[in-house]
Amino acid sequence: MVQTVAWITSLVFMLLITFIFLCVAMKSTEKRDYEPIKKKWYKARTFYGVTLVVFMLIITIYTLRELPYDQPVYGKGEDPTIVDVEALQFGWELSQSEFKVGEAIEFHVTSQDVNHGFGLYDEEMNIIAQTQAMPEYTNVVYLTFTEPGTYEVLCLEYCGLAHHAMTYQITVTN
Amino acid sequence: MVHNRLIKNYLVIGGIVILLMMVFGILMLLAQGGGLSLSPPTFYQFMTIHGTGMIGAAALAASAVMWYFLSQHVTLSKRIFKANLILFLIGLVLVIIGVFSFDYASAWTFLYPLPTLSAKAWGIIGALLYLFGMLIIGIGFLLLFIDTGRAIIRKKGSLAKGLGWDVIAGKKAEKDAPEPAIIAGTMVTIVNVTALIAGATVIMMNIIHTINPAFTFDPLLAKNLTYAFGHVFANSIIYMSVIVVYELLAKYTNRSWKANKVFLIAWSMSTIFTLMIYTHHMLMDSVMPKWMLIIGQVFSYANGLPVLIVTAYGTLMIVYKSGIKWDMSSGLAFLSMFGWTVGVVPAIIDATIVVNHVMHNTKWVPGHFHMYMGLGAVVMIFAFMYYLAKVDGGLKITKLDWIAFFSYIVTMAAVSVQFLVSGALSTPRRWATHTPEWMGPALFGGIAGVFLVIATTLFIVHFVRYVCNET
Ligand code: HEM
Ligand SMILES: [Cu+2]
Ligand SMILES: [Cu+2]
Repeated sequence: MVQTVAWITSLVFMLLITFIFLCVAMKSTEKRDYEPIKKKWYKARTFYGVTLVVFMLIITIYTLRELPYDQPVYGKGEDPTIVDVEALQFGWELSQSEFKVGEAIEFHVTSQDVNHGFGLYDEEMNIIAQTQAMPEYTNVVYLTFTEPGTYEVLCLEYCGLAHHAMTYQITVTN
Repeated sequence: MVHNRLIKNYLVIGGIVILLMMVFGILMLLAQGGGLSLSPPTFYQFMTIHGTGMIGAAALAASAVMWYFLSQHVTLSKRIFKANLILFLIGLVLVIIGVFSFDYASAWTFLYPLPTLSAKAWGIIGALLYLFGMLIIGIGFLLLFIDTGRAIIRKKGSLAKGLGWDVIAGKKAEKDAPEPAIIAGTMVTIVNVTALIAGATVIMMNIIHTINPAFTFDPLLAKNLTYAFGHVFANSIIYMSVIVVYELLAKYTNRSWKANKVFLIAWSMSTIFTLMIYTHHMLMDSVMPKWMLIIGQVFSYANGLPVLIVTAYGTLMIVYKSGIKWDMSSGLAFLSMFGWTVGVVPAIIDATIVVNHVMHNTKWVPGHFHMYMGLGAVVMIFAFMYYLAKVDGGLKITKLDWIAFFSYIVTMAAVSVQFLVSGALSTPRRWATHTPEWMGPALFGGIAGVFLVIATTLFIVHFVRYVCNET
């Protein structure tokens, strides 16, 4: 799951940074000449800098291969189900709310009034996809459910005093 | 120092507002955690005042840090500095009246057309009070940054030279590079003048729409302008405050921290990237041109490089085996660089489009910026307060200050990490109520926050004691 990967990755790097700052703090009261330290650690920095840039480049290329904005390639004769989603203070209107596992779906999301956020939650209440619901514009979410169950739409953009009450249920069957 | 009086006023006001806003933060967390019952309208009013007040107060105090060091190299206008403070206070009063007397609660991002279309929760008067308040605060800051730009150009010839581009190009020797305060001052001038013009434009659009709803604007343009303003202005806080870290650590370690080419390139990168990457707030708007969103990811990564490779690395190098004497100001300065660096990690992760797809507008977002603000930017401001109290007031620090220091680290880290955990659990941000599964981290953060406020109170009390002694 993406959230778990993000959390673990963040945790690892945050702990690494904590460890490095602690080490330097422990070594701070010892007194040595600055020049040799500079010489040594500037050299190390070149290596560290290059490694970091290369690492980021690899992650960038890897994570940009498939973006949620891209329409999936549909098989021959496979027509996606288009669902019109309209948000309004404070509720959701979907042209359809029951789906089948494996059905290719496009949610065409817009809003009647202010900005809202169309956030799709699975049964364990993890976000699986989202997009902004904007007045005058239509954002698209491409999705194929892989598990049956009851899914929920939650509002993910602050839209006023009943923002937290904007929920809607979707049923997915086999 | 000649203008100490004003600097002190900035910091006392900034410090006290930050402290008060923390209390609203705790109340929100306790409410989300199920430990306190707040009606949703009250929650969202608190959220609006907390976001607005924190960003405003931290920017105010940070601009005093920058002004203090920049004025040692260039001639700044004291009158404009004073005008900014007065405009800030006027704006703040309007914002407070708008929120608490007229129920205005659009969050500090006032995303068009929410100020006008509140589903009748608040009226035109509340919206206008808030928006005019913000406009007045913005104009004050705009004047201030136009003045810093003017002063830098006067001294250096151009803003490009303020960033040391002549040194980068090899036309000038490294030893003649501008001082860090000038470089940071130039960077902040460039990004904030841009941000404030974008902000003033979108605030005026909102004001016109509020007065005459027949007058409408493109919501996507409004969103772009809002985040161009909000992202840049909020980020500028740390770039103003970090000057104190350069100055302090160089003094305390007796080592020089001068600008060399790598340093200059890093600051130029920060200038350009800070302006470019606001689109990472719009990764979930698929109607945006795709290239702009890819830029949002790629340059958000790149924007981490100047900090990770130059500023944080420089901090570690200058402190390592330096025989530094630790006191509250050097300790806070070092801590703040740690806070900035760790805060970069969850920020970069969330700027990844595929991650943003499931973490945008979850509590992961406040998670990363509370770390970066609370353990970074604001700590730099506290470091400066202790520094002034020491060099100018000769005020001694006590055991209590040290207890506050360590409690602050633990509790601010707790508040930040609890947000991140909530984000990883898909808890949406800006929700007045939480389901039972989401409550744990919030309640934990609310309790940690109580101790955090006590620690911060001790910091502020120390500074206020110095200010009172002087007069
Ligand atoms: C005691 C310390 C603090 C606590 C307990 C706290 C708590 C909170 C809470 C509960 C929220 C709303 C979270 C949500 O979206 O559900 C929030 C939002 C925010 N906080 Fe803090 N905070 C603290 C310190 C700070 C500091 C030091 C800053 C910046 C200088 C800051 C800036 C903000 C901003 C800008 C928001 C966004 C408001 C919005 O979503 O409109 N906070 N904080
Ligand atoms: Cu909504
Ligand atoms: Cu909403």
